[in-house]
Amino acid sequence: MSIFSRLRSIQTNMVLSSVLLILMTIMIVSVISYYLTKDAVQSKAQEYTTELVKQINNNIKSYVNGMNYMSDLVAGNPFVQDYLSKETFASLKQEKESKESISTLLESMLVSRTDITSVNVFGYNGQFVSGRKELELNPYIDLTSLNWYRNAQEAHGQSVISPSHIQPVFKDRYPWVVSLSRELSSRDGSKKLGVFLVDLNFSVMNDMFKDVRLGQRGYLFIVDSSGKIVYHPQQQLIYSKLKYEMIDRVLEIKNGTFTSNEGSNSRMYTVQESDFGWKIVGVSYVNELVSNQNEMRLSYVGLGFICIVIAIIISFFLSQRVSQPIKQLQSYMKEVEKGNFDIHVPVPKTTEVGRLARAFNIMVGKIKELMNQVVSDQEQKRKSEMNALQAQINPHFLYNTLDSIVWMAESNKSKEVVLMTSALAKLFRASISKGEELVSIRTEIEHITNYLMIQKMRYKNKLDYQIEISDSVWDYKTIKVILQPIVENAIYHGIKMKHGPGLIRIASEETETDIHLFIEDNGNGMDEEKLRTLLLPISRSEAGRGVGVQNVHERLKLYFGPQYGLTYKSTLGVGTTVYIRFPKSLQSSEGEK
Amino acid sequence: MPWRHKWFIGAIIVLLVVVAGLVYWSEGFSNKKPLNVTVIIKSHDASIEFWQVLVDGVHEAAQEFDTKVEVWGARDETDVEGQIALVEKAIVNRPDAIVLAATDFDRLIPICNKVVAKGIKLIILDSGINSNIAQSIVSTDNFKAGQEAGQAMLQEIKGPAKIGILSYVKNAASHIDREKGARDVLSGLPYIEMLDTYFVEGSEQKAYLKAKEILQSNTEVLGIIGLNEPTSVGAGRAIRELGMKDKVKLIGFDSSVNEIKLLDEGVMKATVIQRPFQMGYLSVKTAVEAVRGKKIQKQIDTGSLVITKENMYEEENQKLLFPFVGK
Repeated sequence: MSIFSRLRSIQTNMVLSSVLLILMTIMIVSVISYYLTKDAVQSKAQEYTTELVKQINNNIKSYVNGMNYMSDLVAGNPFVQDYLSKETFASLKQEKESKESISTLLESMLVSRTDITSVNVFGYNGQFVSGRKELELNPYIDLTSLNWYRNAQEAHGQSVISPSHIQPVFKDRYPWVVSLSRELSSRDGSKKLGVFLVDLNFSVMNDMFKDVRLGQRGYLFIVDSSGKIVYHPQQQLIYSKLKYEMIDRVLEIKNGTFTSNEGSNSRMYTVQESDFGWKIVGVSYVNELVSNQNEMRLSYVGLGFICIVIAIIISFFLSQRVSQPIKQLQSYMKEVEKGNFDIHVPVPKTTEVGRLARAFNIMVGKIKELMNQVVSDQEQKRKSEMNALQAQINPHFLYNTLDSIVWMAESNKSKEVVLMTSALAKLFRASISKGEELVSIRTEIEHITNYLMIQKMRYKNKLDYQIEISDSVWDYKTIKVILQPIVENAIYHGIKMKHGPGLIRIASEETETDIHLFIEDNGNGMDEEKLRTLLLPISRSEAGRGVGVQNVHERLKLYFGPQYGLTYKSTLGVGTTVYIRFPKSLQSSEGEK
Repeated sequence: MPWRHKWFIGAIIVLLVVVAGLVYWSEGFSNKKPLNVTVIIKSHDASIEFWQVLVDGVHEAAQEFDTKVEVWGARDETDVEGQIALVEKAIVNRPDAIVLAATDFDRLIPICNKVVAKGIKLIILDSGINSNIAQSIVSTDNFKAGQEAGQAMLQEIKGPAKIGILSYVKNAASHIDREKGARDVLSGLPYIEMLDTYFVEGSEQKAYLKAKEILQSNTEVLGIIGLNEPTSVGAGRAIRELGMKDKVKLIGFDSSVNEIKLLDEGVMKATVIQRPFQMGYLSVKTAVEAVRGKKIQKQIDTGSLVITKENMYEEENQKLLFPFVGK
């Protein structure tokens, strides 16, 4: 069996289509649920990141607020005001005391604050006081060149946060700090006194950010309002253009999330704005958010696989259940094909196939019945044929003819003897010839001419005949020996009883589909009663008359159908006309089929 | 019948396998096994910031590219035998790649051949070997850096000068190239006389003594180039001590707090710094790419930068000059 014919089998089709259907369904469902789960996990991760970034923002805020608080304390402190506003001091001791008190104030702020590297006051009069006494100014540094110093002067008394930078103002120290600086002025605001500086140890913040890991590779960075990076774990890579951050987009949004479009390396940015202009940005790698993505994917694929295998097994059995009765039916059909009609298919429960089986049973029954009918029809045909043959070789006709021949021979009418004997011979040859049922009208007319010739010779002037068959019908087929019984009847029952000469006329007519032959005599005719019973089957049992006619009628019906046959028209004392009707046919053995 | 079923089940299994394969393929094999990379640097001496920053970059890359990295270092930069032993040990562990900063130009060649012969990818970091077998060399273009130092020196000296070069160790490729670069710029000028290159055997103290000796014996010396951090700082100390910072122009390499101080004070006029973070980062990145079979560059220049007193506090330079290491 080839692949294609196998593909056409119902079971294969059913299994294939259901497998495809299930496959698609499972694939779609698992892909959708995979992405749904992924989305859910992702949004969870996003929430987590946002929360984390917020917390860090709060931490930074608390640091900055602490620094701000210090600046407020210092800015409003009378000692500081006094110390910075004085151009000269009464004595060196007084100056030292004044400085000492400020130093103590600043020092007290540093107590238990390891995150603050220094708290300092830089006076415009050249004074410098630090909370850490060990600090000395770096002699090589010009204060006015430093950002935090200039920014504070430009901000006129507002606190300024400078991004992480190196603080070079102290000798031998180069710490990374975040600075809060603020210009100090006299209480009435008229006089600018100096700059206050708090340095927050940036490594504290750094440690805080560095430990933040968003997934495997995610991280956190901070930019200020101008887009400068305050903190970034890979700042060097960014400066050397080995890595890019989407700073423009970060600056565009205040708070929220966006995802960069970098394929499998897409990053999710979670932005949180701080009060002092910084933006804290959590960056996580999208494909990492779902940490067990692969296991998830694998389990979905695995589950789908198992489902599909189960589905295939089920669909296999289901389709087998459906196709099994059909296959069974098919095997019964094969039996019938072989000619076994004595079969009754058990009717399965499945409705469709059940109906099919029932219909099949009925059909087989019908066929059997028809076959039987055909057999009996054939039998009857054969029988009537035999009858026709018997009618033909009516022994009385043969005796009489032979008697006539003897008589003619005795009278030395040798010419007539030859004529009659040859006609008799032709008559028999024609009827026995080939044993075919159908003959052309020509043959049939030849036959009846021979017959009439013999009869005419016997009855001399008592019988005359005319045959007027049109040329167009000569070749049509008819059953053989249909004219003889009718002509015989016309002679024996019509003309023989009549006084005076009788005439038999045989003519033809044709319609579109049929041929009519009619045999007309001017004999005695029949009464109504006789006419009515003539063609009824009962009359067959009556000896003699009518048997041959009845046989012709039946054979015509058998061969050509019930609408064909004989019709009689008769008037008592005037004559009888017999119509023979059969279809036009040129085929030789149509009736056999 | 059974044969038909076999055909059928076979077809379905093939279909399933194809589908599963497609699903898996479309999502990619992101679950790659972490690679093992061994990084062997010249010195694990924690006082040299250069290596610390470099190792920072290594770890950063290890994190980003999901790689297991082990960082080993020789005792100090003169410990060639120690480093060879480390490479030997690394080969036994059979990592996917070895990243090596060679302490010696010649003596590490055999062991490097062995690394490559074992099918381990070899990436040279910072200083090379006199051989071409490494998959890639990630380093500062030291010749170019030397030229930059020479240019910086030319900016500082006006008029006739003698210029001496202090080199940390003999046979380190990086130092050889820097020296060549500097000489490429400075020699051949009629008003400049190049002195010998002095080797200080891997010691800042010896550099200091050597510089002092040079300064004292050649009163007219106007320029000193220190080829790395200890030589620069040593020379700086000598100049500072002798109070010759206006007369003697010192150009250094690399950066450290001590060098910053020298810059701040004006003792050192300029320093040529490398980008150790990039170096570390890129060496691991390149190693990973080499193992994964990607096309990699044979030579990766991480660049160098001339830092002077004027630009040292610029935002972009701060991070290079003042790394967060060890805090």
